Amino acid sequence: MARAGLRKALAGWAGFGILMCLLPLVVSTGTLRIFIFANFLAMFAMSWDILSGRTGYISFGHPFLIGIAGYTTAMLTYHLDVSLMLSIPAAVIAAMLAGTLFFVPALRTRGTYFALVTLAFMELLYGLTQVVQPKLTGGTRGLSGLPAVVSGAVPNYYLSFLVMFVIGISLWLIVRTRIGTALSAIRMDEDAVKSTGLNTTKLKLFAFMVSAAVAGVAGALYVHYLGSIAPRGIFEVNFLFTILVAALLGGAETIIGPIIGAYFLTFLLEFLRPYIPGTGRYFIYGLVALVLYYYAPKGLYGILAALLGRLKPDRPGT
Amino acid sequence: MGYIVVQGFLLSGLYALIAVGFTMIFSVGRVLNLAYGVYIMLGGYAYYFAAQVLGMPKTVAFLFAVLTGISFGVLTYLVLVKRLQHDPIAVEISTLILAVVMQSLVILVFSAAPKSMWPLIPGALHYEDLSITNNILLAMVVSWVVLGGLVLFVHKTHIGRAIRAVSMDRKGAIVSGIDPQRINLITWAISGALGAIAGVFLATYTQLTPDMWVAPLIIAVAVVIVGGIGSIIGSLVAAHIIGFMETITTTLITPELRGVFTMLLIITVLVAAPKGLFGKEDL
Amino acid sequence: MTALLEARNLFKRFGGLAAVKHLSLHVDPGEALGLIGPNGAGKTTIFNLIMDELKPDSGEILFRDVDITRKPTHERVKQGIVRTYQVPRPFADMTVAANIRVGMMPDDLGSMMRHGPDLAREREIGLSVGFGDRELAMYPGELSMGDLRRLELARNLAADPKLLLLDEVFAGLTVAEIGQISDLLVAHKKQGLTYIIVSHDLRSLAPLVDRVIAISFGETIAEGSFSEVIENEAVQKAYLGN
Repeated sequence: MARAGLRKALAGWAGFGILMCLLPLVVSTGTLRIFIFANFLAMFAMSWDILSGRTGYISFGHPFLIGIAGYTTAMLTYHLDVSLMLSIPAAVIAAMLAGTLFFVPALRTRGTYFALVTLAFMELLYGLTQVVQPKLTGGTRGLSGLPAVVSGAVPNYYLSFLVMFVIGISLWLIVRTRIGTALSAIRMDEDAVKSTGLNTTKLKLFAFMVSAAVAGVAGALYVHYLGSIAPRGIFEVNFLFTILVAALLGGAETIIGPIIGAYFLTFLLEFLRPYIPGTGRYFIYGLVALVLYYYAPKGLYGILAALLGRLKPDRPGT
Repeated sequence: MGYIVVQGFLLSGLYALIAVGFTMIFSVGRVLNLAYGVYIMLGGYAYYFAAQVLGMPKTVAFLFAVLTGISFGVLTYLVLVKRLQHDPIAVEISTLILAVVMQSLVILVFSAAPKSMWPLIPGALHYEDLSITNNILLAMVVSWVVLGGLVLFVHKTHIGRAIRAVSMDRKGAIVSGIDPQRINLITWAISGALGAIAGVFLATYTQLTPDMWVAPLIIAVAVVIVGGIGSIIGSLVAAHIIGFMETITTTLITPELRGVFTMLLIITVLVAAPKGLFGKEDL
Repeated sequence: MTALLEARNLFKRFGGLAAVKHLSLHVDPGEALGLIGPNGAGKTTIFNLIMDELKPDSGEILFRDVDITRKPTHERVKQGIVRTYQVPRPFADMTVAANIRVGMMPDDLGSMMRHGPDLAREREIGLSVGFGDRELAMYPGELSMGDLRRLELARNLAADPKLLLLDEVFAGLTVAEIGQISDLLVAHKKQGLTYIIVSHDLRSLAPLVDRVIAISFGETIAEGSFSEVIENEAVQKAYLGN
């Protein structure tokens, strides 16, 4: 029974992959660039989801992880001309290390305390990158003129999509295992999980490491796509908001949900952009997000699943 | 040196006020409220609007700020929390989104540029080579008065005792005839008021900026983590530790790094003594 | 024969109140020990201490002669101690089968990833508490109190325990449900399972237990067979008041 479900799902992934690979043939470069952003947002959202969506430890610190990776690769390539083959893995390692140093003690807290402590990490870096060694970090203006991994809309589209796709399938396969079930159980009742003989600290650490690794890869690649990095834009609440809303509107705890959510949100924001003045953007985005979240807390994935009644193999507990 | 001592005490009083307003909601509703930072921001902007834009007298403007805090607190409770309170994750998320919405609204109405607030009491006290602005002195006095009033309220008045009852044992309180929803409403209103008051003083002490809802939340969580849950003494001690650390950093190093040592303190406490200094339970 | 579980001189205070005072108890392998006492006597606190949901201010806990006082909850469960809760705590967004699956999981990330769930064993455990395929696919929200208690038992049995701590397992059940659970407990006792049972329902408790301890205000006030303890004057006073 599970095998047939797996085969159907893998077919779904393959179909999605093929469709998206054909995309550059039918859309303009401008639209492709929107898709590129959507791919990166999907990676950020999935990174958030495998930790926070699953275990219920709502992290407000993912910009911290993304930023550490981004700054590491930016500084290595900008100041030391390090090749991307080295700087990007270094960035991932940096994200995981820094993350461990900060997040692991934070995992001793729960709920909103955890959220706020992780938010504090982001705020910390916002201050530090501007003030500490501004020659290295570029201070308030940041660093620009960073080397690109590939040039042009189409190659960047394929790169971002490929990485997103690989990450997506890998995470999806991981959460289909009993680890996914255990992590979801932590969200539902962590103490009850402990009393079934599972070491929840080990499980949370695993989820966190995976989350940090994904954030690191995505963050490093994103920075090279943009060609620049600055404190404003990465260590800010609006960015955090975008990642969270993408994951939640798509459907938290499902890995596929964040992908759907990232695409949906990116295009929604593109659609709304011409109608709203620059400064008020997040006001409208926020209101829309609030209303959508209020009425559909399980997100688009939840709505689709209810309609089709068939996407269940990914949900824990079947 | 004397400056640091004095300024440290003054700031700590304000931080204690911020932390207590924050934990009040949690102990009653078992729900932490990110929007608390928004009360602080709204309190500051409301006062600014009334006093500096509309030119109202300071006491009226202050009252206006407090009313804004109360209204927003009640509104948040009725619209969001009441429906979602069984799901703490949903509350965290929706109050974050709400904070982003309010921050953007403030940017729309007031612009993103930081604003300097006129002090509530201009001038400064001078003693030898020390000078303390009257404003921060007023902030400290008001903070302690409010804190003291809160303690009296919670121990001596009927409603205050009801609040304590609900925070200790919700079911028991219901059985005694207390309506927890009404108590929640009152607590959120009080929290809104406390936040607004803190906001007015915080804004005059630093600056008015649309993102000023973040720092107080971090201070509040730092105070609770360092001081320990369930301990007022812990909160007061922690507020002073953090207040002094920040004052020292701001004066002797650089203002931007003020949060760094607070952050390090949080991490150290979490690693070495997760219950905090006076905490009775685990976080 | 050494005791399966031994608690020595446990002391736990909350603020000014001593919930458990110099309490010692033991339970032998294959024995069913009843723990009775008025509300607030400290019975659930004792369970919490045994499971490391609370840390004692002083005292030791030994399981099969090994000092487990410093061990965290999941380690104690792995040694073989499990518990049910006064108010059942199922994993609400998962099916009954998945609940059992979590109970059965080895604490090993590699194994969790490489091997899928053992559906046959899940069925077996479900059946051992009376759940068929239909129930296995249901969600806790659709279950009665009796079913929820059986679910907790199933989840616990999935961990292959030696000692089962039952906290008011009869509360909120119909007479029929009580009978069901009793039969289950008796059946598993025959297979060697050891119990400590906390219950207000003395009538349901009586046929299950070999020995009873009565607690009041955190201290043992009587110990012996069921009838001995029930007829004890101090016990009656504790229940009925002065």
